[in-house]
Amino acid sequence: MKLLLVGEYREGRLLDITAELMGFAAAIGGEASLFLVGSAEEVPAFNGTLYLVDAKVYGEYNPEVHKQLLLKAVQEENPDLVVFVHSSYGWDLAPRLAASLKVAQVSEVIGFAGNAYEVGCCNAKMHRNVTPLTSKAVITIQAGAFPALQEGGTPVVKVLSTDVASTTEFVGYEPAEARDVNLAKAEIVVSAGRGIGKKENIEVIRSLAKAFGGELGASRPVVDAGWIDHGHQVGSTGQTVTPKLYVACGISGSIQHLAGMKKSGFILAINKDKDAPIGEVADVLVVADLLQFVPALTAKLS
Amino acid sequence: MKILVCIKQVPDMESPFRPNGSATWFDESDLAFRMNEYDEYAVEEAVRLKEQLGGEPEITVLSIGPDRVIEAIKKALAIGCDRAVHILEPEVASREPWQIASIIAAYARDKQFDLLFTGMQSQDRGSAQVGVLVAELLGIPSTTTLVGFAWADGVVTATRELEGGVKGKVRLRTPALVTCQLGLNSPRYPTLPNIMKARKKEITTLQAGELSSEKPLTGSAAFRHPEKKGSGVVLEGSVDELVEKVLVILKDKTAVLR
Amino acid sequence: MDATREIYWNVGHGVVAVMYLLTIAAVSGAAFGFKERLEIWRQGKPLDRFDRRGDRAQRMLATVFGQTRVFRVKDGGVFHSLFFWGFLTLLAGTMLIMVQADFLLPLFRVTILKGNFYRYFSLVLDLAGLVAIVMLGGLFVRRFLIKPKGLETVADDYRIHALLFTILITGFLIEGSRMAVTELKQNPDLALWSPVGYVFAQALSSLGDGALPGLHKVLWWFHLLLGLGFISVIPRTKLRHILTTSGNSFLAPFEPKGTIGTINLEDESIEQFGASKITDLTWKDLFDSDACTSCKRCQDRCPAYSTDKPLSPMKVIKAIGSVAETSPKKGLVEAVTADALWSCTTCGACQDICPANIEHVNKILEMRRNLTLMEGEFPGDEVRTATSNIEVNGNPFGMAYASRGDWAKGLPVSIMQENSDVDILYFAGCYASFDRRNREVAAKFLRICAAAGVKVGILGKEEKCCGEPVRKLGNEYLYQMVAAENIETIKGYKVKRIVTTCPHCFNTLSRDYRDLKFDVPVEHYSTFINRLIVEKRLKLKPEPFEFTYHDSCYLGRYKDIFEEPRAVLKSAGGKLTEMSRSGYDSFCCSAGGGRIFAEEKLGSRINVKRVAMASETGMPILASNCPFCLTMFEDGIKTGGFEGKLKVRDLAEIVAERIEK
Repeated sequence: MKLLLVGEYREGRLLDITAELMGFAAAIGGEASLFLVGSAEEVPAFNGTLYLVDAKVYGEYNPEVHKQLLLKAVQEENPDLVVFVHSSYGWDLAPRLAASLKVAQVSEVIGFAGNAYEVGCCNAKMHRNVTPLTSKAVITIQAGAFPALQEGGTPVVKVLSTDVASTTEFVGYEPAEARDVNLAKAEIVVSAGRGIGKKENIEVIRSLAKAFGGELGASRPVVDAGWIDHGHQVGSTGQTVTPKLYVACGISGSIQHLAGMKKSGFILAINKDKDAPIGEVADVLVVADLLQFVPALTAKLS
Repeated sequence: MKILVCIKQVPDMESPFRPNGSATWFDESDLAFRMNEYDEYAVEEAVRLKEQLGGEPEITVLSIGPDRVIEAIKKALAIGCDRAVHILEPEVASREPWQIASIIAAYARDKQFDLLFTGMQSQDRGSAQVGVLVAELLGIPSTTTLVGFAWADGVVTATRELEGGVKGKVRLRTPALVTCQLGLNSPRYPTLPNIMKARKKEITTLQAGELSSEKPLTGSAAFRHPEKKGSGVVLEGSVDELVEKVLVILKDKTAVLR
Repeated sequence: MDATREIYWNVGHGVVAVMYLLTIAAVSGAAFGFKERLEIWRQGKPLDRFDRRGDRAQRMLATVFGQTRVFRVKDGGVFHSLFFWGFLTLLAGTMLIMVQADFLLPLFRVTILKGNFYRYFSLVLDLAGLVAIVMLGGLFVRRFLIKPKGLETVADDYRIHALLFTILITGFLIEGSRMAVTELKQNPDLALWSPVGYVFAQALSSLGDGALPGLHKVLWWFHLLLGLGFISVIPRTKLRHILTTSGNSFLAPFEPKGTIGTINLEDESIEQFGASKITDLTWKDLFDSDACTSCKRCQDRCPAYSTDKPLSPMKVIKAIGSVAETSPKKGLVEAVTADALWSCTTCGACQDICPANIEHVNKILEMRRNLTLMEGEFPGDEVRTATSNIEVNGNPFGMAYASRGDWAKGLPVSIMQENSDVDILYFAGCYASFDRRNREVAAKFLRICAAAGVKVGILGKEEKCCGEPVRKLGNEYLYQMVAAENIETIKGYKVKRIVTTCPHCFNTLSRDYRDLKFDVPVEHYSTFINRLIVEKRLKLKPEPFEFTYHDSCYLGRYKDIFEEPRAVLKSAGGKLTEMSRSGYDSFCCSAGGGRIFAEEKLGSRINVKRVAMASETGMPILASNCPFCLTMFEDGIKTGGFEGKLKVRDLAEIVAERIEK
C-alpha cells in the first residue's frame, strides 16, 4: 500500500506529531512518502520522498493553497491512502482533499483491521469500524493512538509550488495564556473533572494533589466553568502530560482529555460511573463518590 | 445578508448506547435527543451577528433527519433563526458525511447564502467533515474550529483553536463557511415569547432524495462498546476498603509511593 | 347620689357643632389620603379578592379583634395586642359617650351612662387607658432602648409614639382636672371607680378650682385636636396599617397554601410573563406593601436573611411599595435585585408568620418568572445545566432517562408498563431514582409496603421530574411540559392513589397539577405509613431511640402535616426532643425554591445552620422525610463538622428496621 503522510509545521517548527504518522505507516506496513508545508532547514529524517512546500511562501495555514499543492503531490505519488493527524490542521485540510478527489474520508482513526478503520464515536463511549468504499481514501489518525517512530534517514526532497490564489488570509498566532503550573514535567498529576460538581470542591482535589506531592490538573469543562484557570488544563487544547501517576477525579474521559494524559505511567481514575470512558485507559478505576473517597485517601496519605 | 445554519440532532451522550440490528450504528430506542452541542454555538453566533447588524440578515436553519429533528429546529428558531428547512431523511443514520454534505450543498447552491455556520463536528459521529465538505462543494472558502468570530464589511475574522492553547487568526471574504467550537460563545436560553414566536415561523420540508442521490463513500460496521484496556481493574465497595486497596496497588505498581 | 357625670362639663354643649365639623374634616382628610393610596394600588392588575365575602369578613373580625396573628410572636406582639385592645376600648368608650350625649339624651331622653353601668364603664376605660399607656411604654422601650436587630426606626415612629402618648396622657389629665373640681369633692365613692383619674385628680387638686377649669378646657381642645389629627394622618403614615393590615385579613387568599397562578401558555396575546414592572403585579401585591408594618418578623425567620444573603422578605415588599409610590416605571429586578430573588428558598416562613397576611413568595416567583421566561437568566450555570438536563432527560442530573427505573431492580415493585395492577403508584421522583443515598430510602419504603401487603408500581423510565424546582425558579414553560407528560402517562393507567416520598413531588402533584386537570389522590409516605400502622396493616417491633425531627417546609408549613410523621417515629420506639425551631416555625434545609440545583455562593450555609440546631438538642439522630432535606443535611453534617455526633436518617429507614417479621 502506498501512503502519503501529511506532516505538520507550526510557528517555524516541525511538529513532533509527524513522527506518529511514521508510526502509523510502519504499523500498517506501507511505503510512505511525506507532504510537508515547512522549511528545507528542518526536514524529518526518513527514507522516502518528501514533497516540500515552503511555508514562508505559502503560509502555515492556507487551506485552499495547501490543498492545491497536496493535489499535486497526490497526482505525482498516486497513493492509496493519504494520512493526516486529526488536529486543527488535519481536520481542516483532509475533507478539502477528499472532496477534490471525491474519495472516502475516515476521521480520527485509532486502529485498523484489514480495510476497516476503527474509530471512536458518541464521545468515545462507543467504537465502530469504517470502511472506505473508494479505492483511494483519506484518513486522519487520532493524536497519541499510534506510537511515534523516528526511523532516521534522508528523504528525497521534491519542492512543490503553485500560483493558485489564497482565499484566506492568515493574520497570526495568539499565544497560549501564561501558565503558573508546569504539568508537563510533573511526576504526579491529580486532576479534577466535571464530576466534582462545584467550584468549592476543587479544594478537595487540591488537598489530594498536595498529599501526593503532585500538581493539580483539570479537565476542560472545569476550566470552562471558571472553576480553575486554563493553566491547569490537561488535554488536547491544554497541556499533554506524561506523569508516573495520573489521578483522574470525576473525569469521564472525553477524547480530548484522554489525548492529553493517556501516556501517563499509571492511571488511577475515580468515578461514580463504572462505564465512563476513562475506564478504558485507567489502570485502576475506583467506582465511588469522589467526595467521600478522595478525602479518605487524602487522610491516609498525609 | 443571508445566513444558513446547519444543525444536527444527536442523542444525549449520557444515553445508554446499543448497536442496531446490523451494528452499523446505534439503536434509537431509549435515547434522549438534543441539538448537537457545537451546533448550538453555530446558531448562537449567527443570531448574534443578526443582532449586531440590527436584525437585517435572514437566518435559515437547516436540519436533516426524521421528524424528531423538528424539536432541534424549533429550538434554533426560538434562539432567533428566522425560518427553517427540514430535509426529511428517515434513514439519516446510514447517510455518511459525503452524502449529508451533498444534500446540504444541493439545497444551498442557488440560494446565495453569504455565510454558513456549522458545528465543528457532531457529538455522535465526530467526523468533523460535513462543514468543510459543504464549502468545498459550493466552492467557497471555509475555516474550522472557531473560538472567535467577527464580521465587518463582508470580511470574517475568525479565531481558530489550535493545539496547546495556541490560537490562530484568519480572515476570509464572504461568501464563506465557518465551523464552531466550544468556547466561541455561551448560547442563550430561549425566552418564552421567542419560543411562542418560533411556533409560527415557517418550516419548509424537503425530501433528501430529491436533493441528492450521491452514493455513500464509506461503510460502517461493528458499532460496539470498546474493549477495556487489559490491565484495567475496577474496584467497588466501601470507601475504607477502597482506600486500602488503592494504596496497596499504588505501592506495588508505581514508583511514586513508598 | 347618682353615679353619672355631666358630659361636656366645663366646655359646654356649644362645642358640639364645631367638634362634629372638625371630625368630618378629619375623616374627609383621611378618606382623601386613602384615595391617593387607592391610585397607587390601582396600578396593579385586576384580581378578585371580594368573593366569599361572609367568610372573608368573619376571618377579618377574628384576626383583627382577636389579634391572633399579632399575638403569635410574643416579642412586641403582646405589647401590641394589649395596646390595641386598650386603645380600642378607649375609642369605643369615647364613641359611647358621644352617642349618649349627642343622640340618646337629646333625641330620646335616655341615659345609659349611669348607675352601676357607669361605674364599670369608668373602671374599664380607666384600666384600658392604663394598659394602653403601659404597653406603649413597653413598645417604646423595645423600639428605642432595646433596639431589636433588624427593626428599622423611621421618623414616623417618633411622631406616632409621641402622638399616641400625648393623646393618652391628655385623656387622663382631662379626667383628673375634671374630677379634681367635681367628683373628688361631690362623689368621692364614684371617684374611686376611676382609679387612674383619681390619682391624677389628687395630684392636680393643688392647682385649685380657679386654675383647673381653664386647664381642663385647654387640654380638652388639645386632646380633641390630637384625636382628630390622629384620624387624618392614618393614610399618610405607618398608622395606615390600622386599615390596610386589617383589610389584608379580608383579602388574604382562600386557595390552598402554595397555590401559584398557572400561566396559559396557549394564550398568544400574552406579551409579558412574570413581573418586570409594578403594573405586572396585581393590585393586591401593591396593597400588600401598604399593609406591611415593617415588623421584620419575616426577616427574622428567613433562612436566607439569617445566613447573610441579600434577601429580606420585608425589604422586597418595601421595595415594591417604594417603586409603586415613587417611580412606577422603574424595573422591579433593579429595585429588588436578582441576587435577592434567587436567594429565596420559597420555604414560606415569611408568609406564615406575617401578621399582615402578606403574600411574599408569589411576588418573588412572579419576578423570577420574568427573569427566567423573559430574560433567559439563571442563578448560576449549574442551574442552567440542571434545567437543560430536565429538558433532555427529565432529571436534573443528566442521567439517561432510560435508566430512571434501574434503582428498583430486584425490589418488590412492578413497572407500570409491565404490570399496572397495583394498590399505589409510587412517584419516586428524581432523587429517589438517581441519588444513591435516596435510593436506599426508596428501597426501604418498598420494603415497608411489601410488609404491609401493599402492591406498588413505579413509572420507571416513563416518569419525569415533577417540575417543582424549575417552576419555583420561574420556568413555568418547562414545568408545564414535564407536568403534561407525567399527567398523560399516569392517566394511561388506572391509578387509584399516588404516594410520594418527596414533599416537593407531593405538593406539585396534589396541588399544582390540579390546575392541569389531574385529580388522582396523592399522599406523602409519612401519612401513608402512619395509616398502615394505625390500621394495623404494618406491625412494628419498637426499638427505643432518641431523635430530633425536622419539619420539611413543603410537608409542614405548606401542607400542615406535623403529627403523622412524629406518630410514626414514636410508634417505632422513638423519643422526640424538638429543636428550637419546629412545626410552623421550622427552618428550611436550604434546598427549596429550586435552590437544590444552585450553589450557595452568598453568605453562610443554611444547611449547616439547621444541622447545628439539630445538634443543639443533643440527640444522636436527625430524622427527616424529604430527599432534599436528607441530601442537604448529609452535606451539612460533613461541612459543619458534625460527623460522629449526629446522623441524619430518613423516616422510612427507621421504620423499615423495625418491621415485625
